[in-house]
Amino acid sequence: MTSLPLKRARLDWSGIAFAIVLTLLIVGPLVVVATWAFTEVWRYPNIIPQKFGFRFWGQTLGRPDVWNALMLSLKLSTVVTLLSALICLPAAYAFARMKFPGRDILFFSFLAGHAFPKFGLLVAIAAIFLQLNLIGTFWGVVLIQLVGTLMFMIWIPVAAFQAVDRRMEEAARDVGASPLRVFWSITLPQAGPTIFAAVLLSFVGTFYETEGAWLIGAPGIRTMPVLMISYINNQMVIQYGAVLSVLLWVPSFIALMFARRVIGGGAFARGFGG
Amino acid sequence: MSEFVERSVSAPAETAASRRPIGLLLVALPVFLVIWLVIWPAINAISRTIWRTDTDGNSSFDLSSYAFFFSDRYSLDNLAVTLWTTLICAVLLLVICLPIALYLRFAHGRLPAYVQALAILPMFVPSIILAFAFIRVLGPNGMVDILLNAVGLPKIRTPYLTPWGPVIGLVWDNIPLTVLILLSGLGSVANQSIEAARDVGANAFRVFWHIILPRISNSILVALSFSVLGIFSSFTLPYLLGPASPEMLGPFMQRTLRDLQDPIGAMTQAVVAFGFCILFGLFYVRSVARSRGK
Repeated sequence: MTSLPLKRARLDWSGIAFAIVLTLLIVGPLVVVATWAFTEVWRYPNIIPQKFGFRFWGQTLGRPDVWNALMLSLKLSTVVTLLSALICLPAAYAFARMKFPGRDILFFSFLAGHAFPKFGLLVAIAAIFLQLNLIGTFWGVVLIQLVGTLMFMIWIPVAAFQAVDRRMEEAARDVGASPLRVFWSITLPQAGPTIFAAVLLSFVGTFYETEGAWLIGAPGIRTMPVLMISYINNQMVIQYGAVLSVLLWVPSFIALMFARRVIGGGAFARGFGG
Repeated sequence: MSEFVERSVSAPAETAASRRPIGLLLVALPVFLVIWLVIWPAINAISRTIWRTDTDGNSSFDLSSYAFFFSDRYSLDNLAVTLWTTLICAVLLLVICLPIALYLRFAHGRLPAYVQALAILPMFVPSIILAFAFIRVLGPNGMVDILLNAVGLPKIRTPYLTPWGPVIGLVWDNIPLTVLILLSGLGSVANQSIEAARDVGANAFRVFWHIILPRISNSILVALSFSVLGIFSSFTLPYLLGPASPEMLGPFMQRTLRDLQDPIGAMTQAVVAFGFCILFGLFYVRSVARSRGK
């Protein structure tokens, strides 16, 4: 009996140590960025800013390059996500429900992109786009970001369609429901939340996609992350980058937390081979 | 793969003839995209760098771009710094993430839930925001300097724009998936086997070495492969946080392609990167396919 409380106390200590260290190393830097966003004057070596305020929010949001980049990023993410849903969801349904030759091979072919170091593959794609004059164009960036969404948008919905209770569908069909009606009333409500999470993930992922946009899009296409790169490189007013970070990070955080809840931690790790 | 196959077999018998063309038709577009924008570029990069067309339009077997890469001091330095960064990151990730995963596997309650949430948080922080935070914290006159100054200590030698910059950023970025993959591997270690070993007097280290480690060695390899594939050709963090020279392969390829307008050179560098990562890539793909099939 004496060993049990002792063991608990020891476990607690390592937990407290992990919690403190991780809070400092992971939350700490984000708090510093958030503080900068609401700072008007912060001169070295003061520990806290001399003056807090919202002045730089107005200035950042008043910049035309910020608005252009934001609109472009939203447009790109919307187009890529819609196209991806349009071509991937029917394919996911086919993979989950139909039999056709080469089905397993084709299903696992979406893993091909993971066999290569990612940026090397992007460079190889860019070399082809160079010949097709797609460099620096909207549709070039759309294509490269579309490829990035394929695996998510097929594998997650396939799992969703497979998880639908087939007996309910058959029961509905037995009482005379048309296939379309069955899909709309039985299949979609059950598979819907997971599919919605996949769509959300690919929207947010595309919104933050940096490497393809930078490699293929420059100089004509300036998305939000590309704009952030130039803010960081050119050492402009620190608060601009901080305000953009806070502004852009908060909604994606909420969206991703929601998506993770729907997909579930275990399945999430397994999708990455764990 | 078995479950995936079984499900399709157990599907109600439908007339194969009517289903076949529709199924293939529905998957045709995404499959075409994968072939056109994943498989074809890889083949194209390899074939165009070993089968070169000269100025007269004759093509012949020619490895001169590789000969240049492996004799050029600058290219070799970049390759060396890439290998160094990947190795250091892989070691650091294991050293950091294995204790976290072990703790999370065997602890229960609210504190471990908080630790897990923290360990996964970097997944939701885009690397561009991470780069900005890094500079504000570890850069010149950053938060660390401010705090050191406040307690009367000298400033740090900032890792910003040194090879350690990308290392810190990449490790931070890769913690969540490494922890998740290791944790899912630790899920297969049964409590009974650990208790049994404890009962016969094994200490914590021996339990870890003889019971836990053999069972999660595959997960460790998967986690390492995944991070090696990501880190070896990473771009954003080395570009923003690393030194201009030598640079990692990611920024090097980007500059060769876009600034020097040398697609053959860039493709050669890409193929070299493929070559160094091929084993990790194949292992990773095989593991994902197998775990997906279970």
